[in-house]
Amino acid sequence: MLWKDIYELGVPAIDAQHKELFSRVEAFLQVLRSKESWEEKLPKINETLEFMKGYVVEHFHDEEEYQKKINYPKYEAHKQVHIGMVDYVLEVSKQFEESDNNENLMQQFGGKLLSWLINHVAAEDQQIADYAKKEGVSGNGR
Amino acid sequence: MVDKLYKAFVDATYNVFNLMFNISDISDHPIDEFACDNELDISVGIVGELQGEVIYRFPVVTSLNMVNIMSGMEFEDVDIFVTSAISEIANIISGNVITALSDNVFRYDILPPVLGKPSDAKEYEIEENCCICTSLGEICLDVRLNRA
Ligand SMILES: [Fe+2]
Repeated sequence: MLWKDIYELGVPAIDAQHKELFSRVEAFLQVLRSKESWEEKLPKINETLEFMKGYVVEHFHDEEEYQKKINYPKYEAHKQVHIGMVDYVLEVSKQFEESDNNENLMQQFGGKLLSWLINHVAAEDQQIADYAKKEGVSGNGR
Repeated sequence: MVDKLYKAFVDATYNVFNLMFNISDISDHPIDEFACDNELDISVGIVGELQGEVIYRFPVVTSLNMVNIMSGMEFEDVDIFVTSAISEIANIISGNVITALSDNVFRYDILPPVLGKPSDAKEYEIEENCCICTSLGEICLDVRLNRA
């Protein structure tokens, strides 16, 4: 399992989305790391990549809305971090197409995505939850 | 100035292990030489009043343990995926160092991490090695600096 309970922030609205995000990323990583040949798994790679990309954007957007709602003071800085990641994902997708589906490029992307996501959730999103709890608004859903 | 920089790197490594892996049982000790023949080296350049680099050295065992825990999958070789995941961890540690030192007055910059170890040919005024021990394995920080 990619998701671990230690990543739980104690804010139901964010936790539910993080679990969904992790399950999409996990589906992508499982295809990426499966033992089949690259040609064989390419259709599935493309399918899960599109699926995951869509959800990343959607989740970042919802999380930003939540931050606005609770008046999170570091909203702007956090939004910039999200934008940086979305730009990176789009750039890799473009390079992937242009390189005629280069496997190394996707393996590199997968590794970085894994570390980035865990740090983002465990360290940066944690600060949103800390603020929400301090302000007594952690039960606020969307 | 060097002590502060050195400490910031050690602290940031502790923090990342604490937050990302939920590991708080960490210790560090100075070493003369890091005895490991198979490792992933990632170096971070320092430019300004201090010149040189900090090298993160992740032994193969440590790298695989970290990626296995993060992914919940089994990795057996340090391939492109693992190298990229560990490089990102180095990037995260460096980012934390930059944040921690952001309000100090020293004039040096910490450059983005690059894969590989610079040659040992250069002479450095300051050379410090430290081994950080965690339940996932050891990591070595190799600090080599000259005062400009
Ligand atoms: Fe976030």
